Amino acid sequence: MIETLPAILIGAVLVAVFSIIIGLLLMGFDRIVAARMQARIGPPLTQPFIDIRKLLAKENVVPENAIPWLFNLAPVIALASAITILFYLPIAGFAPVLSGGGDLILVMYLLTLPALALVAGGFASGSPYATVGAQREMVTMIAYEFPLAIVVVAIAWRLAAEGISLPFSLATIGANPVWGLVGPLGAIGLLILLVVLLIVTPAELSRVPFDTPEAETELAGGILVEYSGKNLALFSLTQGVKTVAMASLVVALFFPYRLAAIAGISGFLGAVIDLLFYILLITLVTFISVSVIRVAMARFRINQVVSVYWIYLAIAGLGGLLLVMVDQIMGVV
Amino acid sequence: MAGLPLLPELLRQLFSRPATNTFPSRHLPSSVTGFLAKVARGEATIHPPVPTPPKFRGKIVYDREACIGCSLCLRVCPAHAIEFIPETKRVRIYVTQCIFCSQCNDVCPKDALHMSPEFLLATEDRYAESQIVE
Amino acid sequence: MSAEKTKKTIPYTVPIGPVHPALKEPVMFTFGMEGEIVKTVDFAPGQTHRGIEWMGMRRNPVQIVHMTDRVCGICGIVHSLSFARAVEQIVGIEVPERADYIRTILHELERIQSHLLWAGVAAHELGFDSLFYLAWRVREQSMDLIENLTGNRVNYGIIQIGGVRRDISSEQRSLIEKGLAYYQGLLDKMATLFLEDSTVRMRCRDHGFLSENDARILCAVGPTARASGLNMDVRQDYPYCAYGDLDVKAILPPAETGGPRGDVYDRIIVRLLEIGQSVEIIRQCLESLPPGEILWEPKMAKLLAACKKAEGEAIGRVEAPRGECMHYVRMAGKEAPESWKIKASSYSNLMSWIPMLQGEQLADIPIIVASIDPCLSCTDRVAVTRNGRSAILTKEDLTRLSREKTRRMMQ
Repeated sequence: MIETLPAILIGAVLVAVFSIIIGLLLMGFDRIVAARMQARIGPPLTQPFIDIRKLLAKENVVPENAIPWLFNLAPVIALASAITILFYLPIAGFAPVLSGGGDLILVMYLLTLPALALVAGGFASGSPYATVGAQREMVTMIAYEFPLAIVVVAIAWRLAAEGISLPFSLATIGANPVWGLVGPLGAIGLLILLVVLLIVTPAELSRVPFDTPEAETELAGGILVEYSGKNLALFSLTQGVKTVAMASLVVALFFPYRLAAIAGISGFLGAVIDLLFYILLITLVTFISVSVIRVAMARFRINQVVSVYWIYLAIAGLGGLLLVMVDQIMGVV
Repeated sequence: MAGLPLLPELLRQLFSRPATNTFPSRHLPSSVTGFLAKVARGEATIHPPVPTPPKFRGKIVYDREACIGCSLCLRVCPAHAIEFIPETKRVRIYVTQCIFCSQCNDVCPKDALHMSPEFLLATEDRYAESQIVE
Repeated sequence: MSAEKTKKTIPYTVPIGPVHPALKEPVMFTFGMEGEIVKTVDFAPGQTHRGIEWMGMRRNPVQIVHMTDRVCGICGIVHSLSFARAVEQIVGIEVPERADYIRTILHELERIQSHLLWAGVAAHELGFDSLFYLAWRVREQSMDLIENLTGNRVNYGIIQIGGVRRDISSEQRSLIEKGLAYYQGLLDKMATLFLEDSTVRMRCRDHGFLSENDARILCAVGPTARASGLNMDVRQDYPYCAYGDLDVKAILPPAETGGPRGDVYDRIIVRLLEIGQSVEIIRQCLESLPPGEILWEPKMAKLLAACKKAEGEAIGRVEAPRGECMHYVRMAGKEAPESWKIKASSYSNLMSWIPMLQGEQLADIPIIVASIDPCLSCTDRVAVTRNGRSAILTKEDLTRLSREKTRRMMQ
């Protein structure tokens, strides 16, 4: 395990660069497949990079009513916290950079940080649209945390029931793929939990149909309405990194497989194969939970967002949890 | 899929040809004027626009020889786009003013005015040579 | 409740407009909000006044008829037809039967493209862009057909005083038939995509209510009124062009979909059914298209002379895709009309926004605003500015000003 300070620093820089590049590529991929599903050609894959370059060259406008220090600080916090999430998640089978320091519970808390920074930035920008958007973002956050927690708890509980120590540690989850532990009933339960997590993802990333905080046609960009230039570029980068983080979380929880290990290839070639397999997995997750969902639905109202998460997905999640539990008990009996 | 009737269609479209007409090129060139200059030099090819129908009303064509200077077209032009030049007893048409109703074509007793299918007329100078027909 | 007290109970206001992504054309809304709920609604049109009537009063009817194409960006035939019908009544022109049928065909083709355009806009307002792209893609077929028949996609320039300018050839006839078959096959699909989609249903059902009584009191017209259960349609109540010979009935939301409720969902139903009705009307027109002339007077100089001699006033009424559209024209033996007034269909529908929007959520504003299919550049006929500042005219001011103007005209 990497434990020395210089190694951690190098790892952190590598993860940050990797997540930003992959995040932007994922956004480009999402735009292309969404365009194809709508019978359009769409932009080139590198379009997010072009957008970021242009935004970075533009002036930062701070509105008159804004609180400047908070308004300018929010994007930095958002990006920093989004990258921090990835320090605790295993990427392509490599152990997390800060593997010793945190587990799944910490990741769940960290996931709320970029959203909180966004809310702070929204309230600080002093526009009615941004204020409404920030209120909606808070409500959305409260709404999706519950089903997300159910999924996390269900998986940790299953590992704990197997007698594995440190069930919330991502290294443990990576070492014991949860599908291998359950019977057919539990597999159905896990499938339900996977679907719940895939539907939580677009809300976490504020994409249609859960993009109420930004809602272009209602709030003209909502939370981000007053942001421009470098600050907006930082938020766009955050969006990309968050996409990687959420997709990595899904992969870490449900598909912690390493193709190279299964095929018995080790060394540098194995690492490359693992990395490619991991990128394929997160691209697949992005395709399902971002692109397909966002092209196939209309935007929900904020009260509908809450009822979708608190009622439908919570019930589905609890049902999945129950199936996993019943499966475990039946297995013991 | 129940409740989302568009989803199967969307997944089908993922694998079919996009409906976009890629005029003038697949992606927006970094400089449109530069791209057009390249096309003129033969270094790039322009993707053709959607063809115009047979009786399309585009940029006006004026047959100066056939014109008798009766100025009937001035009376029916809604946009006041036609000017009568008394010295030559001929008309001058400002394409930037023209609204392409082709009423002057209908009224002309000598059939001196026609509509061409040309429609790529945008310019920054409203008195450019291409924008005045006489 | 007094204005002062209302102000106190409203925590904050949200301005929407004059330019906002929810609006396709400029209009200024001010919403008094309590949380996400709309408490008070106020709107100010008049942001896109272009002075078309002023221009018209300095031109002869043959010039105006093509200027009217530009009143609206979507209805290329409604305004010119309405204006031409007013002038034809004053001059006493009898439009040839074939021209009447061609006018009807184009009028209905326009309804198809306008309703599809609206369907796309509505889907976009709901955040459902895939449906928006699909609706606009299938709309292209009708645009291509119109372009082929008239020579242009948007500003058709097909109407002339006393007839139409282009005939329908036999090749074009088969093109129209192909287009009709295309839309006939598409109707069920569009209905499924819009009406059976659960997310669209969640957003539209039981929102943006306009009761039958409100619709009557606020003089709503067109699909907005019909969705609220008012049985009215100019094509049925006051047939013009070829509609007298055809079987046209106002379309109300059918009982099997829950009857006329007057919500946004009903307005979608009415518009989708009207696309089917238009296809049927065009088919009937093609079947009984009479032979003959297409213009009352092909020589424009003679037509202009006849118009110059005419005196009198008339109203041209047509059923635009958005509802009844009216043109008032008064001619007094001069080249240019003495007075010309346009009442676009959206003008009658704007007031119904207020009962629709009150009590709804902020999220529903775009779709409710779009649900009456507002066309503001047609509607805006007045912009008042005094000393560089805009002012609001009360009912009394308007009555006084109208009386003054009538006196001026009588002298």
